[in-house]
Amino acid sequence: MRVAVCAPQVPFVRGGAELMAEDLVAAVRDRGHEAELVTIPFKWYPGTRVLDQALLWRLADLTESDGRPIDRVIATKFPAYCVRHPNKVAWVLHQFRQAYDYDGTDLGQFGDSAIDRATVRAVRRLDDVALGEARKVFATSRNVADRLRRFNGIDAQVLPHPPQSLPYREAEPEGFVLSVNRLDRAKRIDLLIDAAKHEPALRVVITGEGPDRERLERLAAGLNGQVTFVGSVGGDELADLYARSLAVFYAPVDEDFGMVPYEAFLSGKPVVTAADSGGPLEVVRDRETGIVAAPQAESVAQACAYLAAHVDEAKAWGRAGRDVARRVTWDACVDALLG
Amino acid sequence: MRVAYYSPLPPSRSGVADYSALLLPALRERLDVVVAERGRRAPAADVALYHVGNDPDAHGWIVDALRERPGVVVLHEFVLHHLVAGITIGRGNGRGYLDAMERDLGVAGRLLGLGVLDNLLPLLWETQPERFPLAGSVLDHARGLVVHSDYVGERARGAGYGGRLWRIPHPAWPMGEVTRATDVGGDPLVGCFGFLNMNKRIPQLLEAFAALRRDRPGARLLLAGAAGERFDVQRRLERLGLDDGVERLDYVPEDRMWSLMAACDVLVNLRYPTMGETSGSVIRGLSLGKPLVVSDVGWFAELPDDVVLKVPVDEYEVDVLLAALAVAADHGAELGSAARAYVAREHDLGRVADAYASSLELAAGGDAVDEQVLLRVAGAASEIGLTDVSLVAARLREVGLGA
Repeated sequence: MRVAVCAPQVPFVRGGAELMAEDLVAAVRDRGHEAELVTIPFKWYPGTRVLDQALLWRLADLTESDGRPIDRVIATKFPAYCVRHPNKVAWVLHQFRQAYDYDGTDLGQFGDSAIDRATVRAVRRLDDVALGEARKVFATSRNVADRLRRFNGIDAQVLPHPPQSLPYREAEPEGFVLSVNRLDRAKRIDLLIDAAKHEPALRVVITGEGPDRERLERLAAGLNGQVTFVGSVGGDELADLYARSLAVFYAPVDEDFGMVPYEAFLSGKPVVTAADSGGPLEVVRDRETGIVAAPQAESVAQACAYLAAHVDEAKAWGRAGRDVARRVTWDACVDALLG
Repeated sequence: MRVAYYSPLPPSRSGVADYSALLLPALRERLDVVVAERGRRAPAADVALYHVGNDPDAHGWIVDALRERPGVVVLHEFVLHHLVAGITIGRGNGRGYLDAMERDLGVAGRLLGLGVLDNLLPLLWETQPERFPLAGSVLDHARGLVVHSDYVGERARGAGYGGRLWRIPHPAWPMGEVTRATDVGGDPLVGCFGFLNMNKRIPQLLEAFAALRRDRPGARLLLAGAAGERFDVQRRLERLGLDDGVERLDYVPEDRMWSLMAACDVLVNLRYPTMGETSGSVIRGLSLGKPLVVSDVGWFAELPDDVVLKVPVDEYEVDVLLAALAVAADHGAELGSAARAYVAREHDLGRVADAYASSLELAAGGDAVDEQVLLRVAGAASEIGLTDVSLVAARLREVGLGA
């Protein structure tokens, strides 16, 4: 079978979505199929530009390549799933959330003008059409599936994907709480930094880059080295940080899915998340595989302090999470997507 | 975003007034809505929403406002001949009537109109309005169109309307506790609610009901609603020997209507010819989980087959109606539960209000969105020397742009 994996690409930005698309291509190839990643640069602003991007995908002809048919298209994100193909499967990481749950919040990009409101509606209608014509729609989490149901009336089957392939290992915790995330306001890393202010014994290591870094560094200033920013790290170094951490903090606002908890679990670490974090709550169960804190710095501080004081419990919760993470395999994903 | 809302409202007694009383609060939760008042200056707004029905007294001023400022039209029925006659001939503007007739029917229409004005022909809005709907003169001013059925949508397209069109179901009333009326009864009790006239197929209903009574002497028919001027219900009942089998009520207030409906075992809502209307009475009956018998025409024909029993309008109408009444009486539970599920699924007030909000936002800013995207597409096409951008236009239409 010839399979085109379609995913948009934001130039110079690399994160979980990009890794997932690449890993999917590799997993399909491992099963003896031909697979290729097809991508188009994505810029979603200002205003109606986001619709041009959907049109670009709509104009792409992926019915065949070099005279041979492409049998299946798997599209992962808006606007890639706007591509036309008779055998299109959508595996939705997320929709264009500025037109959905982010709309009307600080995270949205559209205002109350007539043209902004119409753009929001146009994006939603696009999703209705593009996802409605897919032969099957999967969502990477219950959270994403619920949004598809609520906003678009589309029933999606929940199909989580495995985290990136890293040399995961377990090691004795060295007492720091690790944040693995893009430094973006919606990822809410400031909660962890503020928690460090409440809990002077708490040490924090923050990986990743992003537009919120400067603000976060200012927040962390004056904390006597409690917080360390290490920037982007390679796979080996990341696996090492996971292994040596006490726990992993991951509490974005209503996250779609989130690979980080799975990566933490595969390193035998519990996860501290927030009660409004969305997707992670499907695997981070309070006092079973981590701690679900209130989305406030005091609550996050208490959670981290509890784990530091109860290391054996932290290890047990991490191991319980590892069993959850191991059940999610690429084989199962490829079976569902090509079935 | 602000919406100017034009509609008759209670205490006006009309289906559209009831409709708006139901929809308005839900719409106000989603948009800034200002209600326009007859005789007052048009409120400032990003978009105007005009509810149009066939009654010139209730809707004439709304069409006047629409002509002043095009906006989104909610076409509650497709046949608007009575409305058009009322706002033209009724205001001494015979030429306006002729223009409307010519707009939809060409020169032949103008000649027919002259025949009406000169009293050479009967009043077409009374005798055969369904043949001459005259919706065109309203649709010409619509920047967007909301219909409740595919039937009306298709007829609007057939009349030349090419703009944005949304099919939004009639909302259902949120169900509270409904107390069944205890002063009516029958075995079964068949109910027919709404204005009584020939269009409601009352003669056919009475004939079928008389036959039903022969097998089921305990059956009673509740006819609740004002009767048309030239429609003598009492004489028909006497002729069919139905005096003691039929309970006749004139207009009943809303609360009383709900409790009477709740007391019925079967509800009937027949129609022919259809003017493309929906029926609030049918929606109420479905919400109550009542088995319903309807005519197989227009919007009624689009109701799911497992939810209502449909009677074709042909030479077997009375026989099929008799059979349907019996089936409905014997299978009320199955039909009723399918009806409740259908209403919850398709006619939920929140979903309807969401659909209105979406349509109004697209109507207000959609042209500007299309223009921006099309300008960039056309610019890019021209830069690479393309003059025929039909493929691009087709792809745009597929995703709802440039429609």
